[in-house]
Amino acid sequence: MLYTQPLQVLIDELGRLPGVGPKSAQRIAFYLLRVPQEDAARLAQAIVEMKERTTLCTRCFNVAEGELCGVCADPQRDGGLLCVVEDPRDIVAVERTNEHRGRYHVLHGALNPMEGIGPDQLRVRELLGRIDAEQVEEVILCTNPNLEGEATAMYLAKLLTPLGVKVTRIASGLPVGGDLEYADELTLGRALEGRREVGT
Amino acid sequence: MALSRISLTDFRCFSQVEVDIAIEGTTALTGPNGAGKSSVVEGVSWLADQRSFRGSQRDLLVRTGADQAMVIADLVVGGRKIGIRALLPRTRNATLEINSNRVRNTSSVSEVLRAVTFSPDDLRLVQGGPADRRSWLDGILSARSLRAAERIRTVERALRQRAALLKQIARRGGGISPEVGSTLDVWDERLAGCGSLLAEDREDLVGRLSPLVDASYRDLSGSSSEVSLLYRRSWEGDLQEALVRGRQDDVVRQATGVGPHRDELVVLLDGRTARSQASQGEQRCIALGLKVASHAVLSEPGREPPVLLLDDVFSELDHYRATALVAQLPRNQTILTTAGDLPAGMEIGKVVELTADHSLAAPGIL
Repeated sequence: MLYTQPLQVLIDELGRLPGVGPKSAQRIAFYLLRVPQEDAARLAQAIVEMKERTTLCTRCFNVAEGELCGVCADPQRDGGLLCVVEDPRDIVAVERTNEHRGRYHVLHGALNPMEGIGPDQLRVRELLGRIDAEQVEEVILCTNPNLEGEATAMYLAKLLTPLGVKVTRIASGLPVGGDLEYADELTLGRALEGRREVGT
Repeated sequence: MALSRISLTDFRCFSQVEVDIAIEGTTALTGPNGAGKSSVVEGVSWLADQRSFRGSQRDLLVRTGADQAMVIADLVVGGRKIGIRALLPRTRNATLEINSNRVRNTSSVSEVLRAVTFSPDDLRLVQGGPADRRSWLDGILSARSLRAAERIRTVERALRQRAALLKQIARRGGGISPEVGSTLDVWDERLAGCGSLLAEDREDLVGRLSPLVDASYRDLSGSSSEVSLLYRRSWEGDLQEALVRGRQDDVVRQATGVGPHRDELVVLLDGRTARSQASQGEQRCIALGLKVASHAVLSEPGREPPVLLLDDVFSELDHYRATALVAQLPRNQTILTTAGDLPAGMEIGKVVELTADHSLAAPGIL
């Protein structure tokens, strides 16, 4: 059964959102049907404004308002240190650590032939262009520790190394403050693989 | 670890059934053909491996007319009671719970409940194609280590990614430009890394299984013939180099020609290939030997021995072989199904009789 047309259009649109199935789309639409007019208008306005006012940073392709994102516009940031991530959300995660004082580069994905994503679909050429232009000294490959993320890191390392820049990969291993006995086999195995010598 | 009860709802032929299992020793499921004996065993084995040992699609596991099946197992682990519940919808992914807590990682269920299933289908291990034998090896590796399980998944995924890339190259005319070559390099390297390790894992396992299969076979068959297992890689030397050499062919075929997915486990009887040159009876004994060996490997010290599930195993064996098999089987918790007599020499702790209308007959203890 179809609802009246305006309602059905909304249900269809909501159903296209990630993680929202037909049932949830229906529930949200009926919730919106009952909220006061101004609440609904505020939501609609927020969506429109977000689309109008956000851009991608022309330098690092992070989400930005204006030409440069907050990180790139910050003069305190070390331009010689570049952290490469798959997604703008990863920047938020790295920023929370307060450990990275350099800039970022967002690839907008990882190599994934099954989904038709190759180097041309990622911001790879732009990354290579930044190395000389910004006199980058070190690139930290901060892609996900899964098959596609590792493949992407390996691919980038091969392109970056000949440019004379230092290329590093984030370590993977145990969570801080955890007990060894509770670590899962996979993580602990990786941590053992990536062990390092203790300096004296 | 021991099973105390298994209940099935809308699973196969059952609308609802609860079967109490003897905590120690053997529980025998009896009843006429089509009563659902094998389905009870299949329920337990599904929980342990999250797939059907009969190789059936999910759709077939759900009773006709129902939307989803439910399988619940009550276990006793070190004196604690643990309940595992699985919901199997017809199409979507199954959900698993341990003590009402949803578990995302399916291997955590396999850690709690381990089972080895013997069934007439095991003959496929000898008669079937290489894929049957590879997946048998991989199943044992996965049950022994999460690391190995992850490696197997990574190999499969890397193969799919590489195949997708090969397809794209073929669509663009088949030429491997330096640019395309450098992305192919990356997938070759990932595949070679985990693929060689998987081959080593399998070779290692085959080395341990081979003498066990041989000993079991001699005993079951009463002959002095020798069974040996041989793992044959599909490449020589370095896997990455082999992948690079095979590229042009791979583009034409749009599939990867060498790697652990093309390896073969050869079963030899006195040096001859058992698949093509052993008799039906010999093949049956070899299949049993393979399963006995895998059970032994999975029962290594420091691990809970798996529950033994014997589905209609004795019907195909003569008295001598049935007795020999019973003598070889470890004294773990065992659930067996039989449409006929109970196997001689097997101590049965409990008999559960299923009726033609898929319910329990009045319980009896032997």
